[in-house]
Amino acid sequence: MRQAALLTVMYFRAYLRDRTAIFFSLVVPLMLLLIFGSLNLGAFGQVTLAIDDQANNAASQQFVATLRKIDTLSTKTQSTDDALPRLKRTELDMLLVIPTDFAIAPTRAGARVPTLTIYGNDARPQQVSVGESIVNEVITRLSFAVNQSAPVLNVQKQDVQGVRLRYVDFLVPGILGVNVMQLAVFSVAFALVADKRRGVLRRLMATPLRPSTFLVSQVFTRLIMATLQVLIMIGVAVLLFDVHPLGGILPLLLVCLLGSVLFLTIGFALAGWAETENQVPAIAQLITLPQFFFSGVFFSKEAAPALIRPITNLLPLTFLNDALREISVQGATLWDVRGSLLGLVVWTGIGLVLAIRFFRFDRF
Amino acid sequence: MSAIVTVRDLRKRYGDIEALRGISFDVQQGEIFGLLGPNGAGKTTTVEILEGLRKADAGDAIVDGIDVQKEPARAKARVGVQLQQSAFPENFSAKETVELFALCYGVTVDPLALLKQVDLVDKAGQRQEKLSGGQRQRLSIATALVNKPRVLFLDEPTTGLDPQARRNLWELVRGIRQSGTTVFLTTHYMDEAEVLCDRVAVMDHGKIIAMDPPRTLVAALLGRGFTKPVIQQQANLEDVFLDLTGHELRED
Repeated sequence: MRQAALLTVMYFRAYLRDRTAIFFSLVVPLMLLLIFGSLNLGAFGQVTLAIDDQANNAASQQFVATLRKIDTLSTKTQSTDDALPRLKRTELDMLLVIPTDFAIAPTRAGARVPTLTIYGNDARPQQVSVGESIVNEVITRLSFAVNQSAPVLNVQKQDVQGVRLRYVDFLVPGILGVNVMQLAVFSVAFALVADKRRGVLRRLMATPLRPSTFLVSQVFTRLIMATLQVLIMIGVAVLLFDVHPLGGILPLLLVCLLGSVLFLTIGFALAGWAETENQVPAIAQLITLPQFFFSGVFFSKEAAPALIRPITNLLPLTFLNDALREISVQGATLWDVRGSLLGLVVWTGIGLVLAIRFFRFDRF
Repeated sequence: MSAIVTVRDLRKRYGDIEALRGISFDVQQGEIFGLLGPNGAGKTTTVEILEGLRKADAGDAIVDGIDVQKEPARAKARVGVQLQQSAFPENFSAKETVELFALCYGVTVDPLALLKQVDLVDKAGQRQEKLSGGQRQRLSIATALVNKPRVLFLDEPTTGLDPQARRNLWELVRGIRQSGTTVFLTTHYMDEAEVLCDRVAVMDHGKIIAMDPPRTLVAALLGRGFTKPVIQQQANLEDVFLDLTGHELRED
């Protein structure tokens, strides 16, 4: 135990002297955060609209079908009960409720005029106003097409207080996740393949040092580095971008460390498999790049093509980012994100099996 | 004198290649023992089995009374090791490298005293990767001495060194033997074996084909009527080189 601790201290001291390692574990992550944080990509994109079609008659179906054809809208049918909480979490921009008496035909005199209700997320005013004008435009057009007259419909608008989710609020957990992945996979794979090829590991194995003690020191060196990285990133996010992790910093850090352990197992498996340093970047990119884009780092994981979404939703980084984002943005507790944590644990198990299979001291 | 290393009928096969075809020998306490042979003869395999880094297919390897195959960790604690490639973790200074190995053996040492012993005390603070080839070999010997080994294994210690550095290393090896450590080295330089080793074993194709003090082997060869054209020469090119460039150690 003491031996492992002292070994960790020695290796960590050496790690801090390695300029390339410091560049990739601290400077690059900060650059990512600063660049993407100032881009504010959240201002672009679609208006997400949930539709609760309570009428479900010919007229309402025609109305919904027309809305679905509009590219700017990302529509989805959902009950009001389901959609309202999502609206509050800013997973939706708008909710449109079509009343049971919905009709486009002119009403008889004295009859009640059907009332459409639009719930708009006040945290997304631009999206709501765009969506609202689209809905009104569609109603007007349908009305003229059917009746050659102006619509006889009320549109009532209600504001819903959504979480004021800026792009940078969305971005920070994703950046934390992706950097945890990069640091763990690359730092272990590069350093240990070099040590293996140069014969350093063989020399260490000629001492009575237990392989497990050595591995523990290597893991802890990286976990200390990951802790440092995560705290610096959160610090910059709080001070520079006014991001406030709602669920607290400690749960974020703990989830990041669990993610680190997961990706370290993959780094060790890769270090065991690769013969030379040149093989590392190719395989490491093959592992990390799809997750970079499909696991919801810079934009929603829903942006992945629907066909592969069942797979991308199960990627290790997706679980990590989901957990971090729910904690940071929605103030979720560790218990709330247990589903994602379970996903991380399962992946850690898989990684551990791979690491044990490939990282064999008796072959160095 | 008693045997400190005992090897009996050691066999090792890599796929189709029989690297060791049943070798046996003893190394006496306090001697410098040389294992000679061309590349691929099985020298490194033999040393690595004795160091506990490889498992033999059959046979016994006993070091300081410990069966290396059965108790590799205990055996490793008793020996010092210099592998063919001396490589150490990067971003460690020479002093920290010695400390790292002391930690691996679970012993406390005075790193500066050890570095002084191998004439590297003025490089203590320098990163090990910046050291020259000869300096790194000496650092490697310092790391092999942290546990006060009973036997020191040196696998081709002077390969790639210039004549000054080789001579310097020979002196170092003699000094280590003087302090009571048995030295087991492999080499394919015959002059090195001749000046350094008390006894040598010659290996080829996985078998030991001769074993004796170098002079006995030479005498036996002459006894068989061997002659070679004798050129009366009181010096050779290496003497010229050393005369011109001096014995002083070069640092890079």
